[in-house]
Amino acid sequence: MLKGQQSWVFENRPMILATGVSGGPFEANGNLADDFDTLHEDLWMGMDSYEKAQKVLLEEAITTTLEKAGMDKEQIEFLFAGDLINQITPSSFAARTVQIPYFGLFGACSTSMEGLALASFVVNYKGARNVLTGASSHNAATEKQFRYPTEYGGQKPPTAQWTVTGAGVGLVTENVPGQQHPVTSSATIGKVIDMGLSDPFNMGGAMAPAAADTIMAHFRDMELDPSYYDLIITGDLGRIGQETTFELLTKSGLNIERNQFQDCGLLLYKDDQPVQSGASGAGCSAVVLYGHLLNQMKKGVYKRILVVATGALLSPLSFQQKESIPCIAHAVSIEMNEVGG
Amino acid sequence: MASKQKKMTPQQQKYQQLQQKHELKRPVLKNCIKAFFVGGLICVVGQAISYFYIYFFDFTEQSVGNPTVATMVFLSMLLTGFGVYDRLGQFAGAGSAVPVTGFGNAVISAAIEHRTEGFVLGVGGNMFKLAGSVILFGVFSAFVVALIKTLLGMWGVL
Amino acid sequence: MVYIIRVFLSICITLLVSCSQGQAEKESQMALIKTTNPNPTVTKKNYGQDNVEKIEREVESIDEIYDVAVVKGKEATLVVYKVKHMQRFRMKQIEKDLTKKLEEKYPKEQFTVSSDYKIFLEAVRLVERKDNGNLSDKQAEKRLNEIVKMTSDMK
Repeated sequence: MLKGQQSWVFENRPMILATGVSGGPFEANGNLADDFDTLHEDLWMGMDSYEKAQKVLLEEAITTTLEKAGMDKEQIEFLFAGDLINQITPSSFAARTVQIPYFGLFGACSTSMEGLALASFVVNYKGARNVLTGASSHNAATEKQFRYPTEYGGQKPPTAQWTVTGAGVGLVTENVPGQQHPVTSSATIGKVIDMGLSDPFNMGGAMAPAAADTIMAHFRDMELDPSYYDLIITGDLGRIGQETTFELLTKSGLNIERNQFQDCGLLLYKDDQPVQSGASGAGCSAVVLYGHLLNQMKKGVYKRILVVATGALLSPLSFQQKESIPCIAHAVSIEMNEVGG
Repeated sequence: MASKQKKMTPQQQKYQQLQQKHELKRPVLKNCIKAFFVGGLICVVGQAISYFYIYFFDFTEQSVGNPTVATMVFLSMLLTGFGVYDRLGQFAGAGSAVPVTGFGNAVISAAIEHRTEGFVLGVGGNMFKLAGSVILFGVFSAFVVALIKTLLGMWGVL
Repeated sequence: MVYIIRVFLSICITLLVSCSQGQAEKESQMALIKTTNPNPTVTKKNYGQDNVEKIEREVESIDEIYDVAVVKGKEATLVVYKVKHMQRFRMKQIEKDLTKKLEEKYPKEQFTVSSDYKIFLEAVRLVERKDNGNLSDKQAEKRLNEIVKMTSDMK
């Protein structure tokens, strides 16, 4: 149901029944290694190209999800997936493998929440019973497309971010009351915001206004106070973007506390890993949400969270042509199902 | 830059000022010092190699440049292949990019990157995607300088 | 990763060490690094040792120059020198001035003037082998001409 200007409320509270998360070697050394289902030692994952490796990541995440849910892929009606690579081929190729009717999404690094919002919407209105949604990214494949070759010895500025190698997939199903699973309760779709920044090595700074805009829209539409959530977590703003967003939010009068406001990109890696400002990539928010955050929710650490995935909608061509970076953010609110409710 | 600023809305400008405050600055002085020492170290290696050629082969100071450059490029290609050079580059910045080893790194990293697209369209077509402009503008500026020198010589200035 | 680098480095060092063996001459090994000041030499006794020593003193008297080697053969006279570090920017000018000066003073000689390290090194080696008696007059003359030819290739 539409509420306010740009938000949906999911009265039927679709449930995230199972998740699957896969990652690469760099993530295996990271902070959240325990929350991954499969971790690869090799960046190639036994494939002969990084793009194929990314496809493998997504396929594995899907397979793991189905195994955990105890379902066959024939029981899944739709797959919502996307990534950053040219014409989202890794997602489409993975969809070819799993043979599930497929929507290809592109929202750059916000794809994970775009997918989750759409999947919840479809399930909420009984457009489907079981829907898979996910996003993936691969460090080397993304660097190759957007930046320099992996082995090129260019110096990255401290504002740069590290693209995650990993895929996260969640299975959204109809709510079964009484089951201890996280549910999606509402979503806010963001609009494209461009503040004129054009440095592709400072995505956080470019995406911050989009994140702030979506968060403010969410609380305005839902008529809620930020204290409703235990945690408001952004996708991949990194150190700079997160600080900036926080300042934007507090300046606009939102009553938000510093320790309830976190960033997936800052959780994923250890401090001694050379990631400059933090993690980024379509897989970033997907692996942190479907892995770490939902595990924490099941443990009872958080009851209600708001995940805001941000995306920079640039292409290698557009920034070479000196265009500024338009950005978008989507927010999905996730709560624990009330027991016996 | 000034013309770019004008096109921005006041809202954009205001945001950029706010954002500037949080943006981490490049540690320019620290980078310069690191670049100076690493770049210097690479030059010491180059000097050692050129002395090596002078000692053991028939190269004079004038002609030793070519084999030295070839050796340095070869070494940087090996280091690139082993995955060392990009880490060195992150540490040293211009110190490892400006010497000829940086050129070798730019060529070979692109070649490695596009190996998956095959030898002709991948390696062949993309090998010089970073180094190509170095070659083009290097050759062009050499041409201009040579032209000026020739003309000055003809007019009797030099 | 670290293992590969170590292997690579040790190969490099082994190569460098093994290459530097088998060099009989001790003095010329350091010729590029420290001041050698080899004796002025003639390939054959009667070519005029006095003259050569005079030339050497002449060249050494120039402020910017240190470490001079002079070798005189039947026709050619090779003058090689090192230029003080901060004066190396003016190397071309120094070479020009020196050649002019020498040619005016010794119009009979055919000078080959060079500041190239390689030529210097070869001149030192020649002098050393000559002094040790490892080189006959004829061989020395031949080697000198080879070195002179090397300088003309550079230009």
